[in-house]
Amino acid sequence: MEAFRVMVRARTLEDKLANLYKAGGRLVGGVYLGKGQEAYSAALGIQLRWQHDILGPFIRDQAARIAFGEPPLDPMRTYFGSVRGPMRGRDGNVHRGRPKDGLPAMISHIGSMVSLVSGMLFARRMQGRLGDAVGAVTLGEGGTSTGAFHEGVNLAAVEKLPLIIAVTNNQYSYSTSNDRQFACSDLAERAKGYGIQGRNVDGTDLIQCVQAFDEVVRAARSGSGPQLIIGHTLRLTGHGEHDDSSYIPESVKKSPIGRDCMLIAEQQILEHAWMNDKEIAEWKNTCRADVERMVATAMKEPAPDPFKEPWRALSTSELCEGQWTV
Amino acid sequence: MALFPIIMPQLGESIAEATVLKILVKPGEQVSADQELFEVETNKATMAVISPAPGQVGSITATIGTSYAVGSRLAELVVSQKDAEALGQTPPCSQPECVPEEPQKSRPDASTAGVHFAVNQNDAIYQKQPTVEPVVGGLPVPAGAAGASYISPRMRARMTELGLNAADLAGVAGTGAGGRVTVEDFEGFLRALEQHRMTPASTMRMAVADAMRRSWTRPLATVGTSVILDPMLAHRKKANPKPGPALYAIRALAIALSENTAMAGRLVGNRIVHPLAIDIGFAVEVDDGVLVPNLRGVDKIPLVQLVDKYNSLVDKARTRRLPPDQTRPGIATVTNFGTFGIIWATPIPLPEQNLVLGLGAGTKQPVWSDEVNQFIPVTIAELTLSFDHRILDGGGAGRLLARVAQLMQSPEHL
Amino acid sequence: MSLTYLEAIREAQYEALRRNPDVFIYGQDIGQFGGAFKATKGLMNEFPGRVLDAPISEDAMVGLAIGAAIEGSRPIVEMQFADFSSVGFNQIVNQAATLYWRTDVPCPITIRLPSGGTAGSGPFHSQSMESIYAHYPGLVIVCPATVEDAYWMLLDSVELDDPVIFCEHKFLYYHLKADSFGERDLPIGRARIARPGRDATVVTYSAMVHEAVRAADELQQDGYQVEVVDLRSVKPMDVDTILASVARTGRLLALGESFPWGGVTAEVVARVVTDGFHLLDAPPMRLNSKDTPIPYHTQLWKAHRPTVATVTDALRRLLRY
Repeated sequence: MEAFRVMVRARTLEDKLANLYKAGGRLVGGVYLGKGQEAYSAALGIQLRWQHDILGPFIRDQAARIAFGEPPLDPMRTYFGSVRGPMRGRDGNVHRGRPKDGLPAMISHIGSMVSLVSGMLFARRMQGRLGDAVGAVTLGEGGTSTGAFHEGVNLAAVEKLPLIIAVTNNQYSYSTSNDRQFACSDLAERAKGYGIQGRNVDGTDLIQCVQAFDEVVRAARSGSGPQLIIGHTLRLTGHGEHDDSSYIPESVKKSPIGRDCMLIAEQQILEHAWMNDKEIAEWKNTCRADVERMVATAMKEPAPDPFKEPWRALSTSELCEGQWTV
Repeated sequence: MALFPIIMPQLGESIAEATVLKILVKPGEQVSADQELFEVETNKATMAVISPAPGQVGSITATIGTSYAVGSRLAELVVSQKDAEALGQTPPCSQPECVPEEPQKSRPDASTAGVHFAVNQNDAIYQKQPTVEPVVGGLPVPAGAAGASYISPRMRARMTELGLNAADLAGVAGTGAGGRVTVEDFEGFLRALEQHRMTPASTMRMAVADAMRRSWTRPLATVGTSVILDPMLAHRKKANPKPGPALYAIRALAIALSENTAMAGRLVGNRIVHPLAIDIGFAVEVDDGVLVPNLRGVDKIPLVQLVDKYNSLVDKARTRRLPPDQTRPGIATVTNFGTFGIIWATPIPLPEQNLVLGLGAGTKQPVWSDEVNQFIPVTIAELTLSFDHRILDGGGAGRLLARVAQLMQSPEHL
Repeated sequence: MSLTYLEAIREAQYEALRRNPDVFIYGQDIGQFGGAFKATKGLMNEFPGRVLDAPISEDAMVGLAIGAAIEGSRPIVEMQFADFSSVGFNQIVNQAATLYWRTDVPCPITIRLPSGGTAGSGPFHSQSMESIYAHYPGLVIVCPATVEDAYWMLLDSVELDDPVIFCEHKFLYYHLKADSFGERDLPIGRARIARPGRDATVVTYSAMVHEAVRAADELQQDGYQVEVVDLRSVKPMDVDTILASVARTGRLLALGESFPWGGVTAEVVARVVTDGFHLLDAPPMRLNSKDTPIPYHTQLWKAHRPTVATVTDALRRLLRY
């Protein structure tokens, strides 16, 4: 039920972002959504504890971020470029993060966060304060083709780190379909090559996702080393909101993989009588009101001022070369 | 048979030296190719030095426990001539590149004292190396650099700081590329000046210097001809008021120029700039300099009407009271250097002008007269015309000057 | 003359590990084996669990170090050769260099690059990468030329809260010796006058400092006093010291071992021409390696990189201008 609430919150937020993008002129950069993979993302996020575990999200993990505990205003503040957001206008949209709270800010070079999250776990273990914390790093199926992914997973395996590598196989990497992305029939089998555990899950089915991540995170916490999990779903949106994803054929959209996890989750919630229609409607209203409030707040906040920006790339200010700025 | 050196091999990346642990052969011993001769230890590993060919061990110079640089001779091997050739016609250590230089003498010079490092002079990298050209050729010597005609940014900055012009450095012989004046030459020149008595130049002197230096940036040339002054002298005797000789020249030049104003034009870029009016200046010597008042529209005013104006301007110039409108330059200048007894000179036109007409002192000369069949006394003066050769050529300037002389010899038309 | 440049690096790491439990070293073959150049020899036994062999994964090694830095560690990453850091390039320039600016979280990592040419090492074991990394904001690039600097600048690098690319010259490892590590006298960011002079300035760094000093010695026989400025850190660049030297001499040779296109020497010339045009009595000159990959054979290699002979030749041209 908690995962479902998270899903609704994420979907509401992202629908708003999509509308703001289409309305034009208000958001600073592009918009990248996780529509269709909220179940998988939320199921991971609810397993992780803020300021205890680590989540290295990729661009479609709004749900995991919410479940993990990212401050609610962070997304809107970052999309609007508010100076009060965690990135202060220096980076935007899905590149936000709070590394000191266990939420590193992703760079665009997919695969490269695997080793970074590994390093965070590695340091905590070396410092004797890892405890039962785990780290999760997420990426799409296209990310598994990168060298950085391979290096990172192999290193995590060598170092026996409590790392969950959650891959969303949403069938398309931008516009490239899986038959041009990898040649194996089952990405989870790659785990064997790294000497780690791997499994698949139907990413459209919330209950299956919650069960799978419960097991996977438990395994990582209990010292079983890195865990590779592949969730299968369909990206129900473009790569970004600039992309109409017209390259996805109708047949795929209508296949079981193309089902909207939100609708399935709602049915499951009702079937198990965890919430009734009225409660679901009320929750949706609450989420909508919250999102509107966040938008209103973030929009009013000051944009970064280039004249107040210190333009320093080093924390050691005396080593910054000043002559570049006029 | 040939003697082949056994040297310390390059045993790995960045390995400079290795220590001999064991000597595995004795002098005189027969060895096969690839047989181990020495066991050596680098920072990385223990390795063997092997024989490059079958042969007999000669002298062994290496000793156990000593570290040898890569390339150092450890022993000698007597090999067949054929093997020696197969190993390379010239054994590696007979090549000059491999001969270690003598360690340089310690440098007591103060300039290296306190330097924070020391390098082993015998190291392989500091052995004699083939000379090759630097990758960046660079530094072309500027064309026509001799003296201060080429000025480096630093020289320019120093000259600006001191208020100097390139002409001030004419006396400095350069020691740089192409004979250019380097900043060291320049500073030396300044130090040498300190030996002299120096007095400030007057404002007038500086103004003349500035005008002449600017003018000299152009290619100037001079043509000359003679003019018979007797008609002018006769005309002057009768005239009232009496025009000075320079005024005859001024009026003659004005009339000549009015016939073709382009001659007094200035070249700016690819265009001739024509004068607006025939204003002619004339040089008046004043204390420590020269002033050039000018007469306006001289081509339109008869000679006699110019006399008072002319005399008044001369007086005002001498007392330094020229009216402000007189600072506007004319289109040409007349200078009567004859008043100093000078026969001939090459005056320099003002920087704003193309032409300067000079009038020398008149002298009585015997001239053969066909009419009377004998020499008769004639007063002759030399006329010179200096001009900007970019605008006028010798022919054009000569024709202009001939016309001026012709007009001066017919003073009744002036 | 007993301490080598390599020992300085090892001792500095020993000292860094001893001083601060947050320091660890991660790199290939650095544990029991002690590193390809023995720069970590014996450290694993002294500091168990803090000197660790890494898989051959330069990208992941740097990624791990950045993650560890976020968590408060101060990792040292040893690249086996500077050349191989190209595999970790993305993590260095996009992750490490941007972290502080993007997130306000400092990234105290030190990446050691065994740099520069040695005889017979060829195209992939001889490169100097300082110019590449200096191009990116958010990195500090140091290139020690002396045993003392190797020691103190490595300690300083580990203590710095920013990512440092520590370019240590392989040729100097064994060739350069000193009696002691001396005192820490100059911070990172300050250049040193390695040899005073008044006729021309050579601005250089790393192993080329020694070539320049020897060229200056040679020219002294002809009566020239050539000043050699050892940059020590190429970024930040100590422009004040460079300009002060050019003010004394009026002539500049920027000397570097790396490839000629762009880079540190071009930067030196650009800074001097921009801020000190009025100081120049001769066109500024650059001398670098040739614009080809680094050759394998010693005869080619010696001609590829600047040497005492070519530096002297270049300086003669400059002095005669």
